Amino acid sequence: MKKIAKDKLSLLWKKIAENYQLFLPITEGKVVNFSIWEEGAEVDLNTLRTVNSPKNIIFPQTETYLKFKKEGKKLNLEVVANKGEYVVFGVRSCDVASFKLLDNVFLDEPIDKFYEESRKKGLIISQACLNPQETCFCNSFGINPELAPEGADISTWELGDLLFWEAQSEKGKNLTEALGDILEEVIEDEQEKLNQLKTGIKDRLKDLPLAQINPETIGGDLKEIFDSEIWDELHRRCLGCGMCTYVCPTCHCYDVKDYDGNKGGERFRCWDSCMFSDFTMMAHGNPRTTQKERVRQRFMHKLVYYTNNYKSYACVGCGRCTEKCPVSLDIVKVIKKLGGERNEL
Amino acid sequence: MEKIREEIKEKARQALASKEVDVILAWEKGELWYDSYPAFFTKEKDIDSLVWDSFCVNNLSKYLLEYTMTDKKIGVFVKGCDALAFNQLVQDNRVSRDKVVLYGLPCSGMVDPDKVRTKNLNQGLTEIKKSKDKLIFITKDKEITVPAHEVYYDKCLHCRYPNPVTYDQLVGETVAAEGVLDDSVRFSGVKELEELSCEERFEYWDGQFSKCIRCFACRNVCPACSCKQCTFDDSDLEVLGKAREDSEDKFFHLIRAYHVAGRCIDCGECSRVCPQDISLEKLNRKLIKDINELYGEYQAGLDPSAKAPLGTYKLEDADSFTVGEKGGKKREKNSKR
Amino acid sequence: MSCNCHDDPLVPVIAVVDRIREDTADIKTFQVKKPKEGLPFTFKPGQCAMLSVPPVGEAIFSITSSPTQQNFLEFSIKNVGKVTDCLHQVEEGTEIGIRGPYGNNFPVEEFKGKDLLFIGGGIGLAPLRSVINYTLDNRNDYGKIDIVYGARSPKDFVHSNDLYHNWVQAEGTDVHLTIDKEFEDWKGNVGFVPQYIEELNFSCDKVALVCGPPIMIKFVLEVLEKLGFDQKQIYTTLELKMKCGIGKCGRCNIGDKYVCKDGPVFRCDELGKLPDEY
Repeated sequence: MKKIAKDKLSLLWKKIAENYQLFLPITEGKVVNFSIWEEGAEVDLNTLRTVNSPKNIIFPQTETYLKFKKEGKKLNLEVVANKGEYVVFGVRSCDVASFKLLDNVFLDEPIDKFYEESRKKGLIISQACLNPQETCFCNSFGINPELAPEGADISTWELGDLLFWEAQSEKGKNLTEALGDILEEVIEDEQEKLNQLKTGIKDRLKDLPLAQINPETIGGDLKEIFDSEIWDELHRRCLGCGMCTYVCPTCHCYDVKDYDGNKGGERFRCWDSCMFSDFTMMAHGNPRTTQKERVRQRFMHKLVYYTNNYKSYACVGCGRCTEKCPVSLDIVKVIKKLGGERNEL
Repeated sequence: MEKIREEIKEKARQALASKEVDVILAWEKGELWYDSYPAFFTKEKDIDSLVWDSFCVNNLSKYLLEYTMTDKKIGVFVKGCDALAFNQLVQDNRVSRDKVVLYGLPCSGMVDPDKVRTKNLNQGLTEIKKSKDKLIFITKDKEITVPAHEVYYDKCLHCRYPNPVTYDQLVGETVAAEGVLDDSVRFSGVKELEELSCEERFEYWDGQFSKCIRCFACRNVCPACSCKQCTFDDSDLEVLGKAREDSEDKFFHLIRAYHVAGRCIDCGECSRVCPQDISLEKLNRKLIKDINELYGEYQAGLDPSAKAPLGTYKLEDADSFTVGEKGGKKREKNSKR
Repeated sequence: MSCNCHDDPLVPVIAVVDRIREDTADIKTFQVKKPKEGLPFTFKPGQCAMLSVPPVGEAIFSITSSPTQQNFLEFSIKNVGKVTDCLHQVEEGTEIGIRGPYGNNFPVEEFKGKDLLFIGGGIGLAPLRSVINYTLDNRNDYGKIDIVYGARSPKDFVHSNDLYHNWVQAEGTDVHLTIDKEFEDWKGNVGFVPQYIEELNFSCDKVALVCGPPIMIKFVLEVLEKLGFDQKQIYTTLELKMKCGIGKCGRCNIGDKYVCKDGPVFRCDELGKLPDEY
């Protein structure tokens, strides 16, 4: 295990940025989001949860993948190359876990090559959560924010003035080696302190207000849950905006559109939201005409459909919907309702 | 507030029992201290979970749109800003006044959870009490008292109508309009922008709009956005593309601002819900300020029978597009055309 | 920069619209092949493909030709929206993009030795035609074939050459046509497809393949049940809004199944297990 003094981190950023595009949680106004680091950027490693999840780095909100040109009856198609190599530093365990959930979809056959390419070129550096917040419930989905999350290439922990650094993958080891001048070896005493830190985080998790949320309490088969009465009431306050889907690290629905630029143009894909009225609209009708059906679709997808297909819930308990939904229609409430009495906090 | 909460519940119970209304729109409490959200009550027994506290920020008037096509009678609790919104919906012919029973709730402000978190007042929080213009944050072993305005939403600090401007029944006592700021403060942000050069202003708004993630929360929460179907909802119409493009992000916000111009009640909900902290209130206030200057003082939602400044034409109306400087400065009164 | 994205499933290949036939006032059938010759890909009856007409976009269509037709793919397309409208403006010889095939297929191997009952309405004949022609090209593998097809009027029949000639003349094959309301010189049946099925009183030992407007499918299923058909004998093919065709973009799901990937062909007993949201 390695370490670096926190006041030397800007050296580290600089060094990494020499060879990679470096994404860090950066403050802009009142908002912290993952953005490309440049000298002088206001890096914020304390804010636990960025407004937007880092999914837009591996699966951009808008991604052009094809250029076309038309000349008479001729059509010419050209694939747009993906981005270069990049590093994302400061990804929390929940968000690291969300990447695996996106992988399940995009790397399932037939493999989405654009996504695969983007994943291959990325190096993920996780950061342990020293102070899980009241809206956090990652533990309910089997995520341990004190440990090195599966899927991270390098894991880090903050301890006082130090940042501990441990390579997890081959990619991570290579970068660690390349940063040999900046990183130092951890001494035994510090290792012990780190273990205490981890235990401390674990203890704090138990006291969080949403710690008891348990998706396993959801009973019944797909159709029973679909037909449940809870949807009749739950959807009423939904405003039909796409906030939950856009800040969610696991929502991955997209649209494919063409941009018309006279003789040529581009084809891009962009995030879409099942909360929007035109999401399933066809020329001859719409299978989901009311917000009740849309709200149900979103939560059924997270808690039932996805689970049936990939043996995992499509939620990582990051708490973004809990915090951001303008009318508090978040997944915690749905799990509680579907789980009935067994979920009383 | 605790006393009024019981009064509210009683009022709601009676209204349902006497069949004065079929449904009550109020708030309910979730699992966390700040989590008060819109709730729809149809049964007396459910009223127990009705809540009125410092986090009932959601405006319930907008939900009335859903009931416009039904013959249901609706009881709705409205704060000052919500009542303005209600009037605006009536003025826009989107809600019929006679289907609604309005229960007015004087409100001195709602608490911004982010400000509470920033002050670290949420650690171990068990209860929040209100005493006049102070809030008491109670944990297991201590009580911390803070002046309420330190944790109120910014938008509440600028509130001009803390008491509902319309209601059928008022619950609780009216609050003094103290802390209400005059126009010079309300428009101070706008004035700062007006001082900038054209290029600087463009840069400012470019930076703001490029943060947009197109979640449409600003639009969907807005009581002036009451169209049944928004033109931005069908990308096949090619009014607004789905790609996140700087030009399209700007286009969306500017068109929306102009569409609600003269109807924006300045409730600040758009700014509150924006996840990316875009200064939408400044955009709307710029239009409000211009309307005030061009057509005379106007507050949307104050009087549903009033003539909307942008919906009526008067011969003496200022003609800012052909005369004056860039930015629509008001013509000098006696200047000749 | 190394990038293997060229074989991404979202990237179309170039194909050429070789011939266009006007079936009805709003339906055209397009023959599509590789720019030189041959099929862009192999497929099975019931599968779909995504056609691209940049800069208007992409839309998914069922392949109406049979895999036994080795020279081209055929798509019968009704002009209902943006992409279809653009396709209808296309002239012969125009290049378009194509990707596929997508979805599952009618299990033609399992149908071997059985009598088949095809029930189509309007443009819903398109996916069925692929199976009909496939079975007719492998005539000895299948039993009696009945084709019931309905449209608003005789002018709205697609593939009239098949309906009036090829299929009528095929061995052991009966074609039953019906139109919604009386029409000049029409001597055939008048009435909706479900009622006609009931009148024809088919024996319930056949495999039924149904495709048409959702409302027609719904009533046909009721009639078939009345006639004694088991749900396991009935297949239908569905259409929902699809964008990717590969089960990722997330909008064509019925419960945990994606129409583009797990469908479009569903056996009715399987469909019954899914939520009624299509």
